[in-house]
Amino acid sequence: VALYTVRRLLQAIVVLLLVTMISFALLRAIPGNVAAAVMGPNVYRDPAAIKLFDDTYGFNKPWYNQYLLWLSHLVQGNLGYSWNLNQSVASLLGQRIIKSGILVGISVILAVLIAVPIGMLQAVRRNKFADHFFNGFSTIFYAMPSFLLGLLLILIFAIKFPIFPAEAPQGLGLGVIFANFNAMILPIATLTLITIALFSRYARSSVLDNLTEDYVRTAKAKGASERRILYRHVMRNSLIPVATLLGLSLPQIFAGALITESVFNYPGMGLLFYQQAQKEDYPTLLGVVVVVAVATVIGSLLADIAYAVLDPRVRY
Amino acid sequence: MRFRSKSFGGLVVAAACATALAACSSSSSSSTPSAAATPISGGTATFAELPATTPNYIFPFTSSAYISVSNTDLFQYLLYRPLYWYGTGNQPTVNTSLSVANLPVWSNGGKTVTITLKHYMWSNGQPVTAQNVVFWLNMENAVGNVDYGAYTGFPNVQVTSMKIASPTTLVLNLNKAYNQQWFLYNELSQVTPMPEAWDRTASGPSSCSTTVSDCAAVYKYLDSQSRNLNGYVSSPLWSIVDGPWKLTSFNADGYVAMAPNKSYTGPVKPHLSQFEELPFTTDAAEYDVLRAPSSSSKVDVGYIPSEDLPAKPAGAAVGSNPLPGYSLAPWDDWGISFYTMNEQDTIGDHGAIIKQLYFRQAMAYLLNGQAVVQGPLKGYGSLTTGPVASVPATSWLSSQQANDAFPYNPAKAKSLLTSHGWTVTPGGTDSCSNPSLCGTGITKGSTLNFTFNYVTGLAWVQAELTQLQSNALAVGIKLNLKPEPFNTVVAGYSGNCVVAKIPCNWDMADWGLGWSFYPDVLPTGETLFMCGAIANSGGYCDKNNDSLIDQTLTSSNLSYMYSWQNYLQTQLPVEWQPNAPYQITEVVNNLAGVTPQEPTLNITPENWYYVK
Repeated sequence: VALYTVRRLLQAIVVLLLVTMISFALLRAIPGNVAAAVMGPNVYRDPAAIKLFDDTYGFNKPWYNQYLLWLSHLVQGNLGYSWNLNQSVASLLGQRIIKSGILVGISVILAVLIAVPIGMLQAVRRNKFADHFFNGFSTIFYAMPSFLLGLLLILIFAIKFPIFPAEAPQGLGLGVIFANFNAMILPIATLTLITIALFSRYARSSVLDNLTEDYVRTAKAKGASERRILYRHVMRNSLIPVATLLGLSLPQIFAGALITESVFNYPGMGLLFYQQAQKEDYPTLLGVVVVVAVATVIGSLLADIAYAVLDPRVRY
Repeated sequence: MRFRSKSFGGLVVAAACATALAACSSSSSSSTPSAAATPISGGTATFAELPATTPNYIFPFTSSAYISVSNTDLFQYLLYRPLYWYGTGNQPTVNTSLSVANLPVWSNGGKTVTITLKHYMWSNGQPVTAQNVVFWLNMENAVGNVDYGAYTGFPNVQVTSMKIASPTTLVLNLNKAYNQQWFLYNELSQVTPMPEAWDRTASGPSSCSTTVSDCAAVYKYLDSQSRNLNGYVSSPLWSIVDGPWKLTSFNADGYVAMAPNKSYTGPVKPHLSQFEELPFTTDAAEYDVLRAPSSSSKVDVGYIPSEDLPAKPAGAAVGSNPLPGYSLAPWDDWGISFYTMNEQDTIGDHGAIIKQLYFRQAMAYLLNGQAVVQGPLKGYGSLTTGPVASVPATSWLSSQQANDAFPYNPAKAKSLLTSHGWTVTPGGTDSCSNPSLCGTGITKGSTLNFTFNYVTGLAWVQAELTQLQSNALAVGIKLNLKPEPFNTVVAGYSGNCVVAKIPCNWDMADWGLGWSFYPDVLPTGETLFMCGAIANSGGYCDKNNDSLIDQTLTSSNLSYMYSWQNYLQTQLPVEWQPNAPYQITEVVNNLAGVTPQEPTLNITPENWYYVK
């Protein structure tokens, strides 16, 4: 296992390098001028401004030199400086990662806790009312854009029936969020409902596959109860594809959180990426890419480890 | 000019009543509660920031990267008062009450200006002195050309010497006599006195306020301190204020809270106990909070997104308001709007065509500005009729320029083209059939086929240009609209391509925001329309225009201002287009003193107060 982990970590470093290199090159390929993005029409107010800006931030160097410089800073733990927001990228990510982490983390945990039982129920009650009902439920939410769901929830639960606030908790830090957790209900509900739809369909399909496996027939032949078969044998095996999906869907969930963050005025990482992309704030964009890439690699690694826990046949 | 965002288009009291609550309530517009309402002392008022435009730079000597409405008008000026305040009610004029100095006194044939400071105190107990003003001027002399975002050459170019005649009197000697109004509105408008405690570097006190050569290091230190956003509240530097407010909370995400500065010696003490600025991700998120206020979130002064705004009936001040409990108040900014045609165009003979006045005038007749105002701007925009802003109307606006010289008239456009040698093909592409009439540099068979680069994200600009494209095609001018991101349009086309040494191979461009007259408030044309000015994006060059501008810079006689704008209005150095309001403000009904809003985009929450 140790050798496997070391091998995976080395692979992860290569993957991360490639991700940053490709992202860096793609970002530099965006047309436009960074100084203009930052200064707007002021850029032509002062002839010296562009040169000063380019000199200060190294934009007068070839892109590969800029990349190597950025990489050397990254190795030293320096993610760079956002000239748009006048803060270090590390500070920005530090503020946002907690917010996004709480929103995405709680939503994903809730989604898994709800989606897996729903998927199992659908599989066990295949082609019955419960299956059709939850199929319809998941299809509706799977097809629904998160901004629409968010706006509908605001319309119903904040404007028509003022039960929850229309915006998520404001301010920085965990304390602010948990002190006003009532305001987190609608954003979490939005992201959870969308994610449930994704996971429950996988869970249903996986349980259905497992119910036809030989080991289920053997367990039945040995007189195991349906409950025992379902919870001790089928559920465990059915979770393997869900675990994979969970690990690999982190980037999509972060992307989905972007919309939710925007609708509920909750500035997290997704929104930070979107807003700074429009201003060509390369250091911030690369910082977010690094964080999401690391999260994805870790997610994938955890999924592999989860295989071993869920399936005793898997040995590394 | 200062980079400003606008909420209109879907991307995104007044100083005049500076004396008393009663005065405020009597002069406010429809958003103000009735005069019978009883003022309440205290309370917290919340102000919505435009989406993704949060304050992030506290040092008033602000570089190009950070000079913006959110940093200067809505943040720094509440803490650190500029030497002169521009904005008197809904006029962009100097506000003698809110200014830190008395109006300058001129002598020596207009070559000496004496500035006397009023009694203002810093919150650390030190008085605001002439030395604090020199501190700023020295810094601008030392590093202004690179590090000050509104640098115009002042004071290096005009000021030959300065002398502190007394602790509150500063005398500036100039190299020649200038238009005194221009000097007050466009040069002294940049100055914000800085406290002596800021005259330091990391290693200790410095002497920028007396020695120019020390200023670079002081600037570097203060700039670095302004990059520590989390330290703004506790900073021993930034906590020294002379404005009516002091900072009590500042989050890097844009949340700002201010409390009254008890040591404030200016004319109006705050009535509120707290003033907050709130960040928003989108205008829709802000509008949701306006519609559904809760115990944890509310907005007292916000804005309505253009897509939620009902159209304003013709002749009415405002249209209906979908928000109960709030009043609408359009906030116009002091500026002009236009699109640019590139006279230095290197594509074929396009530059030669655009240089022809008749062609520029034909294009002007093809834009139906009134339809743009009534349509995509929902009745809230205004026409730009020349180089001087027409809203609000000021004494600087000539009677001629108050009228639209080029009302929509496709027949006149067609007539201008045919009379200048073009064979007009409606729905097709016109061609030059008589080069001697078409103009210098235009060959027989040349066609009127142009690319028009414009900014994405501003719905009304897109609608306007689609209309223009259709109108132009009807007289045989083909415009190929090319939407591009804001920064691409600004970087590629908003500067004079020859002067800025950027490619000149483009025809027409529109970045939507036009030009704002602030902090150079007087709308003279030296930075925008003079030959070789870097912001002269179309490369228009006319010696007669330059001479008329020169007169506006050296004489206060308004007739020169009128002569210049009357001439340039019809010369069309750029193509005038309607101007969108900065935002359509929503003010909660129990908050008074918010309106009228200053066209310079300053706010004065010290005038705001709740009523029962």
